[in-house]
Amino acid sequence: MKKIKRILIPLLVLALSGCLAGCKNTKDNYRTLEEIKKAGTINIGVFSDKNPFGYVDENGNYRGYDVYFADRLAKDLGVKINYVSTEAANRTEYLQTGKVDVILANFTVTKERKEEVDFALPYMNVSLGVVSKNDRVVKSLEDLGADDAVIVISGTTAETYLIKNYPDIPLQKFDSYATAKEAFENGTAVAWANDNTEVIAFAMQNKGYTVGIPKLGSSDTIAPAVARGNTSLLEWMNQEIEKLGEEQFFHKNYDETLADTYGEEYKETLVVEGKKTD
Amino acid sequence: MDFAYMKNVLPLYEKAAVLTLRIGLEGIIFATFAGIVCAVILYEKVPVLRQLVMVYIEISRNTPLLVQLFFIYYGLPKAGIVLSAEICGAAGLAFLGGSYMAEAFRSGLENVAPLQRESAYSLGMGKLQTMRYVVGPQAVATSIPAFLANVIFLLKETSVFSAISLMDLMFTAKDLIGLYYKTTESLLLLVIFYLFILLPVSLTGAAVERRMKYAGSGS
Amino acid sequence: MPDLGLDVLLKGNNFFRLLEGLLAAVKISMVSIALSIPFGVLLGITMTGKNILVRFLTKLYLEFIRIMPQLVLLFLVFFGSTRSLGWNLEGETAAVIVFVLWGTAEMGDLVRSALTSIPKHQYESSRALGLAKRQTYFYIILPQTLRRLLPLSINLVTRMVKTTSLVLMIGVVEVLKAGQQMIEANRMNSPNAAFGIYLVIFILYFLVCWPVSMAARRLEKKWG
Repeated sequence: MKKIKRILIPLLVLALSGCLAGCKNTKDNYRTLEEIKKAGTINIGVFSDKNPFGYVDENGNYRGYDVYFADRLAKDLGVKINYVSTEAANRTEYLQTGKVDVILANFTVTKERKEEVDFALPYMNVSLGVVSKNDRVVKSLEDLGADDAVIVISGTTAETYLIKNYPDIPLQKFDSYATAKEAFENGTAVAWANDNTEVIAFAMQNKGYTVGIPKLGSSDTIAPAVARGNTSLLEWMNQEIEKLGEEQFFHKNYDETLADTYGEEYKETLVVEGKKTD
Repeated sequence: MDFAYMKNVLPLYEKAAVLTLRIGLEGIIFATFAGIVCAVILYEKVPVLRQLVMVYIEISRNTPLLVQLFFIYYGLPKAGIVLSAEICGAAGLAFLGGSYMAEAFRSGLENVAPLQRESAYSLGMGKLQTMRYVVGPQAVATSIPAFLANVIFLLKETSVFSAISLMDLMFTAKDLIGLYYKTTESLLLLVIFYLFILLPVSLTGAAVERRMKYAGSGS
Repeated sequence: MPDLGLDVLLKGNNFFRLLEGLLAAVKISMVSIALSIPFGVLLGITMTGKNILVRFLTKLYLEFIRIMPQLVLLFLVFFGSTRSLGWNLEGETAAVIVFVLWGTAEMGDLVRSALTSIPKHQYESSRALGLAKRQTYFYIILPQTLRRLLPLSINLVTRMVKTTSLVLMIGVVEVLKAGQQMIEANRMNSPNAAFGIYLVIFILYFLVCWPVSMAARRLEKKWG
């Protein structure tokens, strides 16, 4: 009995104190370029329910604009790829706790996020947009009544923007694209605010919806992100994106993954080819 | 530890706690009502209804609340039934809790010795009177510990409401982590608020149990 | 009868993916229960000990685990512990850790109450017969308690399988997430898939849990 106690007590104390008083600072939780190469597998966080950017087809394979890019990254790095399904609100967290090496999940570059993670060169332009049903198209957020709820996805730039600029609009928050779209279709709110790329795609793929506000807030870019301080991986990514820009890789990516949804119309406004911003 | 941040978001947690409690209580009240009805049906062996209740109990006890909620909130509207998130939450909780409450009250009823019922009948009391004055009160008293255990269980289950966009404690914490990246602080507040809600119920339950020296519990 | 979107399940290996997701969930609960039983027995024995500090600590552990919703525990381990301890956990591992912590607490309490429910004279008689403390436990007490524990631990399996649905929230691709991915990939051609797929998932969970609960009840009647 004594032996058991001697083992059990420290274990319990450890478990409790570890869970409760987690005050210790994060230490570096990332894998360097070398470590990834050595391991032979790169972990990339993508959406699994954000058609046409990151989703899973009926055979269980990841597909979409982000995924097409991720596949190429892994190929050029000479490693296998392990896709990790992520939700918007988890993206920063997954990088900071080392659950993924790279986030390629339509991650908009913002000042706040730059303090938490390191962004590589951008590969897409983005702004916010609002989509609503045809029978009541929301053309301006000022038109909304006091009880008109707007759907946002937790952890997206749309959420941050609305909280900051329209604190009185009641928000209906969802943690995944799948549930947000489902609820929007079911009519639980008058509009859905998200990246304009996504809401435009939604209106094009589904009948009966109009993007009443195609652009809201500032023009931003979407870029891959790595854990803060992971310079070896970041530098490699930047070189890679510049190289891909020379061969117009993202135009080809658009043709393969987005043209079905958007047609040619948005190609030049959407695609960014390996150039530095700011 | 960023205490300024914690102070800032405190009102959000308070709001979330109120929502958690409100929908939790709505669900528990309906669950209790459903539980009493089901328990009496089982106890009195009402034909047909008894079979229905048994099927309901099996379905409710052998499926997760999260899946029930997904079906009610995201699936049913496709068949034309649109309910608000709050109603879905309360309905889901009542659907789940009804069967647990039924078990609690049924075992309470069965703990009352048959002799008492027979004596009541022989005194010329009717079925309803017997239930109202003789069996009922005793059954309620013995089922209190199991009832309280179910209350805790159901309050805990409210944490899955976040999946249907209800801004309960769980979702608030998750949302704040996604917005401000203060994981430790947000989680600590989450734990504190749940303790605040559940500890009193749990302590009451333990006290009652000690007094009644009654073993066994709901979930 | 409107289109319920069940055709989505017949595409590609979609139905197989749902089953795979369910299997992932069942696996998590099986591994957890297998680990919880020995840990729980140890905890239960420890809880009957005389040391006040030990009893206090175990009680604290038990109450904390019991009061916190499992989803909160999952978040504490998956997000909180990875931050504070600087390790990296996959969703599945985090889930197993939480379920073992929870299962150990539940089993521990069951073992404790089973042990204390065995009349004191049994301990005394076996001592009088010259059995050592360890022998008393192994030959007299444990066989009786294990028999009472079996139906209860089967019950715990059902509860764990049900609770695995929560691992969706910490990013494990289980049956609900697989379902969501299918609904999303087919939004254009099967707008009603949410009804059919969530209904099928509901039924799948029932088909897994129901036989286990029935078995638990039968054993409880037989051995109770």
